[in-house]
Amino acid sequence: MIGFAALALLAGVLVSLSRQVNGRLALSTSAWESSFWNHIVGLGFVTLAAVLFGGLFAGAPMEAPWWAYLGGPVGVVFIAAGSWLIARIGAAQTALLIIAGQMISGVVLDVLMGTAGNTWARIIGIVLILAGMWVSRSAKD
Amino acid sequence: MSDSRPIPSLLYFAAAFGAGGLLSLMVLFNGTLAIYGSLLFASWVPHLTGTMLAIAILLVLRPRRASTFRPPLWAYLGGIAGGVTVMLTSATMNTALALSGTIALGLAGQVLFSLFADMRGLFGLPQRMPKPRDYLALALIIAGSLVLIFLGGAP
Repeated sequence: MIGFAALALLAGVLVSLSRQVNGRLALSTSAWESSFWNHIVGLGFVTLAAVLFGGLFAGAPMEAPWWAYLGGPVGVVFIAAGSWLIARIGAAQTALLIIAGQMISGVVLDVLMGTAGNTWARIIGIVLILAGMWVSRSAKD
Repeated sequence: MSDSRPIPSLLYFAAAFGAGGLLSLMVLFNGTLAIYGSLLFASWVPHLTGTMLAIAILLVLRPRRASTFRPPLWAYLGGIAGGVTVMLTSATMNTALALSGTIALGLAGQVLFSLFADMRGLFGLPQRMPKPRDYLALALIIAGSLVLIFLGGAP
């Protein structure tokens, strides 16, 4: 259990590490070029893993709805945005605002798709996140 | 190094918040793909289509390189950390941690390492010291996220 917790924590560290490395690349090149390298290097890595572990085409991937195949194009814009932002507002600010956007849009998507959830917890969570964004945006020290 | 830190302009603010929205869509799309295909497939396909779109964008926009100096070779390897992340999260999601625990610990790892990196100016990025108000914002956003992750599901 502790071991898995450490792995989950490490996954978060790697998200931040990846954004910093991509951001460093964007400093010398451009945000779009950084996103390109992120994807093609990642593609090589995942392909290698697929060759080693096998089972890439297991299941019935062709039965997935067409829109499930749109994650890649969205990711290109997402990685470019992160690479562009991190050199300008820092790693922590970038991470926090992305988390805020992810959490709030996640609730919106859940509500739109009719996923059951605790309404009060959703309201309290969103209010806390908006308050945090307001503090980070408006307060002067 | 500079320890005065300008309040991010509205454009940065909106871009980062919007990027979070894109991330939600990615999680929904890739997660749906993983229901029908393998976890590797759900990571391989978006990398493949993403690479193709990125090539198209580079050909059409032809963004100029910011510097004539070559970036260090390690700067090209960010995609590997991303690939490992997918494997780690799919490994921990199916343990006692479940999805909520995996996401919550992931957020913690992300925020703590980001703060550390900012303070040290890691990887050739600008060094910056967080201020009290940054910690307050951090505490509020993380508290709200934890409420959504652990209490926001169906009762």
